[in-house]
Amino acid sequence: MVSHDVLIIGAGLAGMRAAIEAARQGLNAAIVTKVHPVRSHSVAAQGGINAAIGENDSWDAHAFDTVKGSDYLGDQDAIEIMCKEAPKDILELDSMGAIFSRDEKGRIAQRPFGGAGFPRTCFAADRTGHALLHLLYEQVVKCGIGIYEEWFVLSIVIEDEKVCGIIAMDIRTGILHRLQAKAIILATGGYGRVYRNSTNALINTGDGMNLALDAGAPLMDMEFVQFHPTTLKTTGILVTEGARGEGAYLLNSIGQRFMSKYAPNALELASRDVVSRAEQQEIEEGRGIDGCVLLDLRHLGEEKIKERLPQIRSLAIDFEGIDPVKEPIPIKPGAHYSMGGIKTDLSGATKVKGLFAAGECACVSVHGANRLGGNSLLDTIVFGRRAGISASIYAKENNIKEFPDYQLKETAHSIAVITNRRQGERGSVIRDELANIMIKNVGVFRDKERLFAAKEKIKELKERYNHVYLEDKGDIFNTELLETIELKNLLTIAECIVLGAINRTESRGAHFRLDYPKRDDETWLKHTMFYKKDDEIKIDYKDVAITKHKPMERKY
Amino acid sequence: MTVKGCEPFLQAYDIDVNNGDTILDALHKIKDVQDGTLSFRRSCRSAICGSCAVNINGAPKLACKTQILPEFEKHGRLTIEPLSNFPVIKDLVVDFDSFWEKVHKIEPYLTPKESSAKTKDKDGFWIIKKQDALKIDDVSNCIFCGSCYSACNTMAVDNQFIGPAALAKVWRFAGDVREGNNKKRLAKVSEDHGIWSCSRCVECTQVCPKDVKPLIAIEDTRAKAIKAGIKDNAGVRHVESMVDSVKRTGLLDEATMTVKTLGFMRSLGIIPLGLKMEFHGKMPLPNLFKSIKGIEEVKKIYEEVEKKGSRVKAGTHPKDGWGS
Repeated sequence: MVSHDVLIIGAGLAGMRAAIEAARQGLNAAIVTKVHPVRSHSVAAQGGINAAIGENDSWDAHAFDTVKGSDYLGDQDAIEIMCKEAPKDILELDSMGAIFSRDEKGRIAQRPFGGAGFPRTCFAADRTGHALLHLLYEQVVKCGIGIYEEWFVLSIVIEDEKVCGIIAMDIRTGILHRLQAKAIILATGGYGRVYRNSTNALINTGDGMNLALDAGAPLMDMEFVQFHPTTLKTTGILVTEGARGEGAYLLNSIGQRFMSKYAPNALELASRDVVSRAEQQEIEEGRGIDGCVLLDLRHLGEEKIKERLPQIRSLAIDFEGIDPVKEPIPIKPGAHYSMGGIKTDLSGATKVKGLFAAGECACVSVHGANRLGGNSLLDTIVFGRRAGISASIYAKENNIKEFPDYQLKETAHSIAVITNRRQGERGSVIRDELANIMIKNVGVFRDKERLFAAKEKIKELKERYNHVYLEDKGDIFNTELLETIELKNLLTIAECIVLGAINRTESRGAHFRLDYPKRDDETWLKHTMFYKKDDEIKIDYKDVAITKHKPMERKY
Repeated sequence: MTVKGCEPFLQAYDIDVNNGDTILDALHKIKDVQDGTLSFRRSCRSAICGSCAVNINGAPKLACKTQILPEFEKHGRLTIEPLSNFPVIKDLVVDFDSFWEKVHKIEPYLTPKESSAKTKDKDGFWIIKKQDALKIDDVSNCIFCGSCYSACNTMAVDNQFIGPAALAKVWRFAGDVREGNNKKRLAKVSEDHGIWSCSRCVECTQVCPKDVKPLIAIEDTRAKAIKAGIKDNAGVRHVESMVDSVKRTGLLDEATMTVKTLGFMRSLGIIPLGLKMEFHGKMPLPNLFKSIKGIEEVKKIYEEVEKKGSRVKAGTHPKDGWGS
């Protein structure tokens, strides 16, 4: 059987950063990924990556902005680490050859971002994720790290409460393989496809979070889903916060810059939860246009738009038929980012021995109840690196474990059950119904009634899932089979989001309850933990790490 | 659409289309409702991940970015096929293995040159002037979708050709002021199946969905390779003998160029081709003495060019011309 010291699942920024670190430690590291690395969704990040490298900025200020942005749910020890280590990581990316945009003097430029008291977002025009993902891929090639490309991981194998490897399907052949590993790092990204209106790629189905749950590692804070304030009307494609960072306005149907009502100081650059709610309220109170408000870039001028926001301009032209140089862009809030994820400690370790996680699939937690723009790329780099180091240390101290035979049989059987079904329902129907109920009932505004309705619906969909059948019975590149397995992952994630949201009878960050509109620190200044036992989701709670910043009222 | 063990065949699907629907929307509609077996790659649906390039009415395009109605109105039909120049795995899914092998071959990573107080600031960050960053702005947009590789005419006749995507990646580093490994990389891509194999048909640049302009990158790389003194190859000999021929006589002396490019011994090898051409009356004879009437004007042009050093001033060219 093939074995590796460290196996990394997922090849986005966090996964590749972790792999590079393991390779640097002299270990045999390999990446397993369901798409080629440069297709990973990190590629779509636009606006930038935060680091206090400016003359008068400090990591302390960055940390405070992040704590405040998290609505005090972020763990402050983790946030301090991230903000303190950020400048060094940017320096490293720069020396690897990152193409960050420069200022007049040729130094790395920084732009203002939402919820930040200082222009501290480094960027590569409006395609920062693309620049960094390709950069890390180059480094992975340089390090000679092995890549199991287009392999889909079906399960993490645990023996005596320690990881011993994975079972994965080679998508091209349909053959199941076993790979042994001393340590495993999950870096599979988010689950945005749970929602209909989402900025996320179609591959973002929360696979790693499900692998972790099944392996016995809990998830945390799943009810906190970030809705990005600016996504395109028909496709939900992201329009970077960098547009507002460069000075764009948000207008309602009567031409008002409505943010002055909701965030009189920060205006368009309040944190994302605040802006998304403001937009939604404008739309629901009848001051929207066709379910949208407008993002106006015209006053920035053609030259600045072309230099700083070239991709946004192409996306608006290609996907909406609107040239932002000439017309404002209709936009609306859309599901964007998962603050919650696999609970890890500061080193990226989960509760299961030998299992680590980093990036959007993980929850350290640095984002708490609401992530600041520019902090997700930073999270992937800082905690990808840290997970790479600690997984390497673990791999050096532990041996390859025996791989039990029955696991492969069980996994093969679970797939055969789906492929052998002769009749039933198509998975795409269930997927669409799930995405619709989630955006309708578990979106920007939530209440008891809608959440319970969603819970019932998910229960029904889970039952119907047991009767899903495939038209494609082939082995080669069977994407229908993949989508069906992904659908199961989406259903479990949706269930966690809804259960967490039902329990949390307060409003904090991205979780806003119309029936409990106030933050309630007394009862709810705590993390929600999700476990899977006998195929049921169980919930527990955990304290928040507070070091310097006592919770205060949050105003922008 | 292809199935393993079957001859490839086209299959017709009828779908309802809304204004604004993309080819990717159509593929999803087919897969979700009509035919679950249809396979294609897709991910970001916003033209940045490079997964979904397919041939649409014969031209490689991103399915997510291409709207159905304008495409249909233009061609009166909608034929969607896998990319060319790639082996097909199933339906619209093609095998990218050799594409990636070629990208890896060019050592696609920065090998930083030694830094100094001039190139880095006090915190250790590179100082990069805007005009220097601009040189690699276009090529750094590449998403490796394979459209250029599919449209490449050289690739169609020489599957060992490294291809426009990998060569654009060469310029990504060769054009980077921080790079310290240029000579080695330029020497490598000056070998057979490299920069000099490109026939300059411009297809790559025309089909690129991200405006990478691989052809300009290839031309920039050629110029840089010559400047670095990497001249001992057929490509450079071809260019130099062309320049020489026109300078001397104002005419293209194709027969002499062949001998100069390939050398005497290898030229013997193409005698059969020469005979065939002669048979069709197309064999050019060496022109050693005859000049055109305005040869003095031609020489003046050469003098002007040589005085200026290059066609465009260094640092201003990347959007529209030859290398510095």
